[in-house]
Amino acid sequence: MKLDFVLNNKRVSINVKGGLRLIDLLREQLDLVGTKEGCGKGECGACTVLLDGKPVCSCLILASQVRNREVTTIEGLSIEGEMHPAQEAFTETGAVQCGFCSPGLLLSTVALLNENPEPSREQIRRALSGNLCRCTGYEKIFEAVELASRRINGLSVQNDKV
Amino acid sequence: MTKYKTINPTTLDEALETLNGCNVMPIAGGTDLLVKFYEVYGKSLPKLVVLDGLIPLHEIKTENDRISLGPLVTFSEIENSPELRKAAPQLVQAASVAGSVQIRNRATIGGNIANGSPSGDLIPPLYVLNAELELSSVNGRRSIPIDKFFKGPGITVLEKNELITSISFDKTFENGFFLRLATRKALAISKVSVAANYSMQNGTITNVRIALGAVAPTVIRAPRTEEYLSGKELNDNVLSTAAKLIKEEAKPISDIRSIADYRREMVGVLLKRGLNGIPQSE
Repeated sequence: MKLDFVLNNKRVSINVKGGLRLIDLLREQLDLVGTKEGCGKGECGACTVLLDGKPVCSCLILASQVRNREVTTIEGLSIEGEMHPAQEAFTETGAVQCGFCSPGLLLSTVALLNENPEPSREQIRRALSGNLCRCTGYEKIFEAVELASRRINGLSVQNDKV
Repeated sequence: MTKYKTINPTTLDEALETLNGCNVMPIAGGTDLLVKFYEVYGKSLPKLVVLDGLIPLHEIKTENDRISLGPLVTFSEIENSPELRKAAPQLVQAASVAGSVQIRNRATIGGNIANGSPSGDLIPPLYVLNAELELSSVNGRRSIPIDKFFKGPGITVLEKNELITSISFDKTFENGFFLRLATRKALAISKVSVAANYSMQNGTITNVRIALGAVAPTVIRAPRTEEYLSGKELNDNVLSTAAKLIKEEAKPISDIRSIADYRREMVGVLLKRGLNGIPQSE
């Protein structure tokens, strides 16, 4: 089938099998390998992408289900080489160790901050509860989200532990 | 690389026509179906009829005091609907604790029902709301109360060529809750759940409806406990007796998620917590 959708702010029109999983379309056909496949069952969140701005598991979506919709992957977060504040915060706090969960966690973070620029710790935990990380123990990740939140809101970060 | 065969209808008629064929299966959010698709169907995978393109089936409609949900309404849409928060609090509570953000953004109410799992979190709330399902096929439409829809775990009265096309119920102006226990807060399937709808008048409880999830082959109501509570003042004695009664009404089994004794005990605990107004910890 011919599939039209918006990928990282660009219109895409390609011939594709409609029953291809979105993650396979991204990784195998479009060479966007930033999106990772962990469990392939919707449990780990490594394959998280944004569909119309909302986090979804790309391992549980078919290509034909994104028709005429907007998909954002980790490759779409930086603008002209400038990292998104959330990406910067993740690198600074040590929220990235092996890095396999990072693309998914960053997209969940960006979706959260777009909807709620000043989330509480509890709201952060809930928003990221669909993303597993086996390295960090989450603390550094929560700190990164809080740092990104402060930066996005233009608040001083001088007293940060960072 | 995983490839399935799909058909992408854009109207309900076209979808029903397609579903009338051989070796086809509808897919809504896919959060349950795609997880076990290969394991269940092996090499003779059915063609998937993708329902996403059926725009009217995504709608939440209100007519006077009646609400009807299209089967493709997602858990997130239920969770974030200000109208449903007032008109069906137990349904909103259930939608907001199931799965994870990613799953709730895709999982649909129609899929949760059609799967027929006794632990489907939206089902106990729909029992206490006396929800009515509309089932459609090329042969026409029929209406069925939710408690007549399930036959056993994963078994429903839905014919192969039928789709759930609407889920409707009267707005509740009463009290309601949904509480569950699961291994962790996110991404875990319920071990036990309890939903209720009831009125409080001058300190006494009336119009009590209680439904239990994951403690019988299907979601069940608890008629003896409902009858006992009706007209009672809610004090510690009454709550303890109700908790004892409801444990007898549960018919749990031991399985991968929990054991029967624990489930039976927790049904009583959740009922007490709910009637005491203790919220689900999120």
